Amino acid sequence: MALASFDGLCYWYPGVPAAALDLLRLELGEGLTLLGGPSGGGKSTLLRTLNGLVPHFHGGRVAGSAIVGGRDLLRTAPSLLSRSVGFVFQDPERQFVYQTVAADVAFGLENVGLPRAEMGPRVDAALESVGALGLRDRRLSTLSGGERQRIALAGALALRPPLVALDEPTSQLDEEGAQSLAGALDSLRADGVSLVVAEHRRDLFEHRADRCLEVEHGRVREGAGDARSSPRGHHREPVGGLAWRLAGGDAGHDRAILKGLDLEGREGEVVAMTGLNGSGKTTLLRVIAGLLKPLRGDVQRPSGRIAYLPQDPGTLLHQPTLRREVELTLRRSGGGHSRPSAVPDAEPFLAEMGLAELAERYPRDLSGGERQRAAIAAVIAGSPALALLDEPTRGMDAAARDRLIAAVDRVASGGGAVIIATHDRELAAAVADRVVSLDR
Amino acid sequence: MFDARALAAWSLAGLLLSLGTTNPFYRGLVALAALNVVLATARPGSRPRALLVPLASAMAISVVLNLLLSRSGAHQLGPVTLESAVFGFGIALGLAASVLAVAPLSLALEPNQVLEALPGPLQRLGLAVSASLNLVPVIGRSYVAIREGQRMRGAPAGLRGLPEVLVPLFLTVLEDSIGMAEAMEARAYGSGPRTRFVESSWTGLDSLLVASAAAAVVLFFAFPTPDWYPYPALSLPPLDVRQVAACLLLLMPAVRWR
Repeated sequence: MALASFDGLCYWYPGVPAAALDLLRLELGEGLTLLGGPSGGGKSTLLRTLNGLVPHFHGGRVAGSAIVGGRDLLRTAPSLLSRSVGFVFQDPERQFVYQTVAADVAFGLENVGLPRAEMGPRVDAALESVGALGLRDRRLSTLSGGERQRIALAGALALRPPLVALDEPTSQLDEEGAQSLAGALDSLRADGVSLVVAEHRRDLFEHRADRCLEVEHGRVREGAGDARSSPRGHHREPVGGLAWRLAGGDAGHDRAILKGLDLEGREGEVVAMTGLNGSGKTTLLRVIAGLLKPLRGDVQRPSGRIAYLPQDPGTLLHQPTLRREVELTLRRSGGGHSRPSAVPDAEPFLAEMGLAELAERYPRDLSGGERQRAAIAAVIAGSPALALLDEPTRGMDAAARDRLIAAVDRVASGGGAVIIATHDRELAAAVADRVVSLDR
Repeated sequence: MFDARALAAWSLAGLLLSLGTTNPFYRGLVALAALNVVLATARPGSRPRALLVPLASAMAISVVLNLLLSRSGAHQLGPVTLESAVFGFGIALGLAASVLAVAPLSLALEPNQVLEALPGPLQRLGLAVSASLNLVPVIGRSYVAIREGQRMRGAPAGLRGLPEVLVPLFLTVLEDSIGMAEAMEARAYGSGPRTRFVESSWTGLDSLLVASAAAAVVLFFAFPTPDWYPYPALSLPPLDVRQVAACLLLLMPAVRWR
C-alpha cells in the first residue's frame, strides 16, 4: 500500500529558477526507504514534501500533485499532515521545545488536543519504542547526542504516524550514537512503522533498507549510487621539520578532560584524531589553534597561517557570495597571488571542492553538505602552514569526501601540516599518515 | 517543590512588604527571610552566588552614592553624615528585599515551570518563550564558534572586527529560529486547541504557602507604623510585633522545605 504518492510534482524554492524537485513520480510504500544522492540533490526537499513543510512552510512554486496519508499534499497544512508523517531533523538540539524529556515528547500530543489522561501512556510507549524509557525524567541538556536524537524520534512517534521521515539523523552522531539510533529504527520497523531516511552513511543503513533511491538534480531513480569512497593508500612522506607540538599538555575548560598529552606533527603530515563525541577532539584542536589555553604544558605552532574549520560551517559564512568567502581568506593570508594588489583567484579552490558552479550563490542558501564544502574551501584556500579541521565530513556525500581528501593532500604536499578531528574512521584511514585515538 | 503559582504569590507578598515600608528593620527582615528561602530552595545547578554577588555590589553602591550626594543630617562624620549612611543602607535593604523576593522564581523553578503556570490566554506566549529559551545555549555556543572562526580567518580585533561576528551571529539566530518554527509545525503546532501534559502540581502545601503570604500582607498593612526617615536627626525606627510577625511569616517556604 502506498503511504505517499507523487504524480509529476515539481517544486521551486522562492527566487530560485531551477526546480528542486523535477517531475517527481514516486510511490513510497512500507518498510525502510533509504534516500541517497549528492548534497544539494533534493533529498531534504523530498522529505519535506512528505509532511507538507514543502511547499507550505518554505513557500515557492509547485506544480503536479501528491497524496500523503490519504490527504492532498497541496491542500493540507503540515500541522495536520504531522499525524500521518513524523519528522526528525538533522540537529535534535534545534527542535526541542521543552526542557525535559517527557514534556518534549508530549509536545505533539498537546498540539492535537489529546486528553491529558492519555498522554502519559503515549509518551511512555513512544520512549519505550526507541529504547529511551529510562530517560523519561531527564533534562534534555544532560543527554548525549545519540540519546537526544532518539528522544526527537520518540517525539515524532508519539503521534503514532504510520510513516516517519528522518533527514540525515546520524550526521551529528559518533559511531556509538549512530548505531544506537539505527537499532531504534530496527525496532520501529519490526513494529510496523515505515521509515524514509535520507543519509550519507550508507554502511549503516543500506543493508537495513527495503528500497534504495537516488535523488539528484531533483529527480529520483531506483537503486543505490556509489558507496562511500573506499579507503585508499596514500604515498606521502612527511618530509619537513617539526610543525606543531603539544608538550605535557592538560586540556579542558574548567577541568582537564585530556591529561598529559605529548603530541607533535611534522610539515606535510596529516594527523587524524578520532574518538567518540565528548572525548575532547574539539578541545584539543582549539588548544593547538591557540583559541584555548592549555591548563598545563606548552604548545608550539608554525609561524605561518593556521586555518581552522569549526564544526558548524554556518559560523564562518557571511559574505554575499561563495567566491567572496574564498577571496576574503586569500586576501588576508596574502595567498593565491604574487602581488598584494592583485585580485585573489578563488577559482582553483572552489573547483577543488566542486563548487565552481555555485561560486556566485549566497553561501547560506546552499544545502548542508554544500555549506560544509563551502566552509572548507573558505578555510583551506591558499597555503596554510597548519590546517585544523573539526569533523569535516558532516553531511558529505562520497564525491565530496573524495574532494576533501584531495584538498588535504594538496595542503600536505605543499608542506602544510593537517590535523583532522573526526569520528569518521574511513576518512582517517584514507587520508591520515597517523591516527591518534582519544577514546579513554 | 512548590507550584509556580504559589511561589509567585509568595514573591508578590515579599515585594509588597519591601516596597510598602521605609523602615529598615522590616526591609532587613524581609531580605533575610527571602535570602533564607533562596538558599533553601535553589534547585541543583542554579547559581545563587551569581545573583548575590552583584546584589551585594549594588547595595554597596547605593550606600556610597548616598554618602556622596547627601550632606544633610545632624551627625557629622567628617565630610559625610551618619544620617546619609543610614538612609543609603535603608535603600540598599529595600533593593535586596525586592530582588530576593522574586529570586526563587528563577532559582527554585525551571523557566518552563514559570511559563507553564501562565494563565490560558498567555500560554502560547509562554510556549514561544520556553522554546526560545532552549535556543539560548545554542546561541551562546554559536557566538563563541563564530568569534573564534572569524579570528582564525584573520578578522580584525576589537570593534572593527565586530561586524564579522555580529552578522553571522544574527543570521545564525535567524536560521535557528526558523528551524525551530519548522520543527514545531512538523509536530502539529497550530493544528487546533491545545491540551497540556504537565499536571498541576498544586498540593495542600501550596495552599498553605498562599495563605501564609496573604496573612503576611494583611497583618503587615492592617497595623501600620508611621513612615520612618533618618533626617534631620537619626532616631530608632518604630517596631510593631505584628509587623515583625508578618515579615517572619515569609520564612514559611524555607521552614517547610528543609
